[in-house]
Amino acid sequence: MMAAAESGPLTTHVLNTADGVPAARMALSLHRLDSRLMIWTMLSVGTTNKDGRCPGLISRETFTPGMYKLRFETGSYWDSLGQTSFYPYVEVVFTISEPEQRFHLPLLMSRFSYSTYRGS
Amino acid sequence: RNKQSWIIAMAGSPSPLTTHVLNTAMGVPGSNMSLSLYRQDPSTNAWNLITTGTTNDDGRCPGLITKQSFTSGVYKMHFETAQYWASMGETCFYPHVEIVFTINDPGQKYHIPLLLSRFSYSTYRGS
Repeated sequence: MMAAAESGPLTTHVLNTADGVPAARMALSLHRLDSRLMIWTMLSVGTTNKDGRCPGLISRETFTPGMYKLRFETGSYWDSLGQTSFYPYVEVVFTISEPEQRFHLPLLMSRFSYSTYRGS
Repeated sequence: RNKQSWIIAMAGSPSPLTTHVLNTAMGVPGSNMSLSLYRQDPSTNAWNLITTGTTNDDGRCPGLITKQSFTSGVYKMHFETAQYWASMGETCFYPHVEIVFTINDPGQKYHIPLLLSRFSYSTYRGS
């Protein structure tokens, strides 16, 4: 039986590159910029599972063109492991102009570095 | 007196905080990119602008902050990435990149590079 595929047009995956493990139990949130009011609206909030993923961030219907922000609570994550981190949080701001596509935004991070890219 | 020694004389000691923007897609420094440095006010959480600048031909921006001003706290570097790519006629997935970091020991040197393409970026704490 196939495991449930990670559906939804926008997904993430957080990897702890220092320890070589998924970053489980990291809080994160998705926001969209209201371009008229120029304020961020929180769309969803969640916690990564033991695989470092957080399904169900947004539905196809809600995923309209615009500017979005994924905020990862990296400081709290490292704190829960008894460590400090250079980054209290990481925010990745991105523009969606073709919401019919799939967007996979991983975060590869250690206490002193991180990277992200647009996958699919 | 050449220009470089004038700049060093006027600037005093170099900034304890430096950056370096690399365009990893093209294998060149990210030059002529606008950026700004902020410090967060711990009582209001508002961001106070410290410096704005533009990266030079080498993708660097000297003089971000003076040793005197570099106190412990939460800082943010803001890079105008989409504007940078637009100036080359390209789009960028990231309208801007903001890197928020905590300085607990302002006596050290901190190097915050940004390695960037149109669809990816990375950063690390260097010295």
